[in-house]
Amino acid sequence: MLCRKCVLPENKPDITLNTDGVCNICLDSQKKGTGQSGQVLPESEVIKILNKYKGSGKHDCLVMCSGGKDSTLSLYYMKKRYKMNPLAFTFDHGFENEEALENIRNAVDILGVDWLYYKSDFMKGIFTEMLKSQTKVPLCHVCAIWYLGLTLETAKQQGTPLIVAGWTKGQFIGEGDPGLEYRAMSRATEDFVKNHLRKIPPYKDFSASIGEALKRARRKIKAEIISPHWFLRYDPAEAERILERELNWQAPKSSYPRGSTNCLMNFVSVYLSMKNYGYSHYHIEMSKLIRMGELSRQEALKMLEIDFNEDFIRGITGRLNRGVGNKDEIQTGL
Amino acid sequence: MNILGISCFCHDSAACLSQDGKIIAAASEERFNRQKSSSAFPIQATNFCLQKAGLTVYDIDYLGFHEKPFLKFSRVILGHLEAYPFSLGNFLDTMPCWLQDRLIMPLVFKQELGYEGKPLFIKHHLAHAASSFLVSPFEEAAILTADGVGEWATTAYGLGKGNNIEIFKEIYFPDSLGLLYTAVTTYLGFAALEGEGKVMGLASYGKPVYLDKFKQIVNVHPDGSFSLAQRFFGFNRGSRMYNAKFIKLFGRERQIGEEIEERHCDIAASLQKFTEDILIGITRKIHQELKVDQLCLAGGLFLNCVANNKILEDTPFKEIFIQPAAGDSGGALGVSSYIYNSILNNRRNYIMSDAYLGPDFSTENIRRILFNREIKFKELGDAELCRYIAARIAGDKIVGWFQGRMEFGPRALGNRSILANPCNPGMKDLLNSKVKQRESFRPYAPAVLEEKAGDFFQAKQFSPFMLLAAKVREDKRSVIPAVTHIDGSARVQVVNKEASPKFWLLIRELENLTGVPVVMNTSFNLRGQPIVCSPEDALNSFEDSQMDCLALENLVVERT
Repeated sequence: MLCRKCVLPENKPDITLNTDGVCNICLDSQKKGTGQSGQVLPESEVIKILNKYKGSGKHDCLVMCSGGKDSTLSLYYMKKRYKMNPLAFTFDHGFENEEALENIRNAVDILGVDWLYYKSDFMKGIFTEMLKSQTKVPLCHVCAIWYLGLTLETAKQQGTPLIVAGWTKGQFIGEGDPGLEYRAMSRATEDFVKNHLRKIPPYKDFSASIGEALKRARRKIKAEIISPHWFLRYDPAEAERILERELNWQAPKSSYPRGSTNCLMNFVSVYLSMKNYGYSHYHIEMSKLIRMGELSRQEALKMLEIDFNEDFIRGITGRLNRGVGNKDEIQTGL
Repeated sequence: MNILGISCFCHDSAACLSQDGKIIAAASEERFNRQKSSSAFPIQATNFCLQKAGLTVYDIDYLGFHEKPFLKFSRVILGHLEAYPFSLGNFLDTMPCWLQDRLIMPLVFKQELGYEGKPLFIKHHLAHAASSFLVSPFEEAAILTADGVGEWATTAYGLGKGNNIEIFKEIYFPDSLGLLYTAVTTYLGFAALEGEGKVMGLASYGKPVYLDKFKQIVNVHPDGSFSLAQRFFGFNRGSRMYNAKFIKLFGRERQIGEEIEERHCDIAASLQKFTEDILIGITRKIHQELKVDQLCLAGGLFLNCVANNKILEDTPFKEIFIQPAAGDSGGALGVSSYIYNSILNNRRNYIMSDAYLGPDFSTENIRRILFNREIKFKELGDAELCRYIAARIAGDKIVGWFQGRMEFGPRALGNRSILANPCNPGMKDLLNSKVKQRESFRPYAPAVLEEKAGDFFQAKQFSPFMLLAAKVREDKRSVIPAVTHIDGSARVQVVNKEASPKFWLLIRELENLTGVPVVMNTSFNLRGQPIVCSPEDALNSFEDSQMDCLALENLVVERT
């Protein structure tokens, strides 16, 4: 049963529903008076941040660009709306969606921005380990730890201490408490990394949380991470219209949540999260957006509908066999 | 050409954005930060204006401010010196504000907005003059501005011709009709900058028997100008604007919340009459000198719709234009127009025919909010909505009406309004008790179909911005008792079909039901709060009052 106000299910002890069917997180948000609609910060705040970095190096900022609508829109905003000179940065762990890569190619060509494309099989091995161990850790959590560290490292190399992401207001990235909704997933991640992953030599230095990854990186570079979507009204439909019109952007045929352009491994992560927790990190993000008045519960539920099956997931995990020296199908517990 | 006009650090802060001379967006900061008459830097209003136009501050070609801070500072500092040691408290209170922002405006624009260009500073009364003439339909017009005080000027007149404005004469601080009105407002126990409209309403209940006393405290000169006898005032001498001599002359001041006596009504009536007489004297002189028949008015004093109408009725001017943000918020509008038209010498290409320059919210957005708040609603088409709401009003229900873009200026003109049946004699009391909690002497305004205005009201000219009072025709006073003031006047807003199609249709539907093309219209806010801006504000006000029904765009919420 989902919360009557947002889309989170009960997940004791962290998420509980009261007798009216409303979760403790919604109740807490109501009590604190947070979650009013509108932007978190006025847009002039982002301008002030951008002004600090404008003209400070070869590129003014590094834009994490996956080819999805939110990150491509961030790149578009940096170049067109804020007149910055961005460097687009894409990391590909081997499961990047072809349509997304095509979207980035179009965007960087049309906008005339430099593009750094980084492909690595590093995560393939971790994904394999995670699936083999049948851990409850969401794949995307571990991947997020990796790509944040990688992005900060790249920002240092490129001399661009301003990192721009395509995160919505519902996405938590930081060093503090990620919140009750993430607690079970975060604990599982920390436990898995510390007690399993770090025992495997290539991964002995892997960070156990995003907070730890950020802390480590900040010893090397004082970077600032922002997302323009934190300062602007979130309107996915309008975002798509702008991108299609201006950057020849194409929505992918298959995606999760509906209307996004996430990598293929994202499907697997969501599938397993639903199985293990009854919700995914997208449920958390969208619940936050609902509380902020940026999405309705109905819209969120529609976007979160799962229209892929186990065979589709097997097709993706089957790709893990390639290039990891394993002829047999990985036993994933699926 | 994108020009941003800003007014702030006095009261009614606002931002206004023009593109190639056309006003694209304008709003007061109070609507966003929910602090009535906010003087704060209009950061949210500016963000709104830029986002409405799809711009950022990087796209702004010129940024203008509604006064010259150093000139104003010279007046402030001299005022303090003159009144020393009585001014010490005021001095210590205000100096930090001057030092931390008002004297370093370019830095403030950089810090607050990231604007790195060179701002332009336009004199306060010139900005007021521009805010009226440059967006008026007149090719040539006399201009009169009056408010509390700008830098030094409190009153100014001049001539607007084409895209130029020439100011001929100014009256300087401390001689100010605006300050006089505010001083008496506070003496009568109402808040400054909020209570002036109340005093105007109270005036109808009294007789102007104190005119002689006002003549003792204000000297009117043969050329129409005036000076305040400073021995009765204390503008820099503490927290009160009037002093012991004033109290000796007029009697004990009324404390906030004290009962209103006949004497208070008479003082209000005398103040109103005295102000009107001075304004009429000045405008007659202006007409004699300039020999033009059109007049543009601006400045907070001209939010006084009764005085405005007297000027129209009792002077040779044939037409008057007053834009809806006649007070300080309009300074932002004046600045952007003045820069485009007068400084950059571009032909005028914009007439302010409506006030709908603020934020709007899509039905989709409102539907989402209602879903998330688990509020039941029904969705209707435009025609059906107007029919439905008209029936509710005709049935004596009080309706919150939230449509389209928010009005710029202090009046709700049918987009952020509370509407009710003007034909019900008890409606004023009902509205007061269920929603507005206003003083009983304050009138409510009628909004009437423009083409039917003459059938119900008598005036030389009607205002779409509720800025010209009119007489209710004798035979109609009993038809619309809830909007007829005690003296038979009304603060009429005429509703034009092109400018406000939905509001017009609603009144038309009401006419179909009641035979009266008039709706009772008051601002959508609760006591002490600014007018609502967002659907959430509207819902909060709806929930905190006893309004019967709320139309948020085409979504209707009923009180259950």
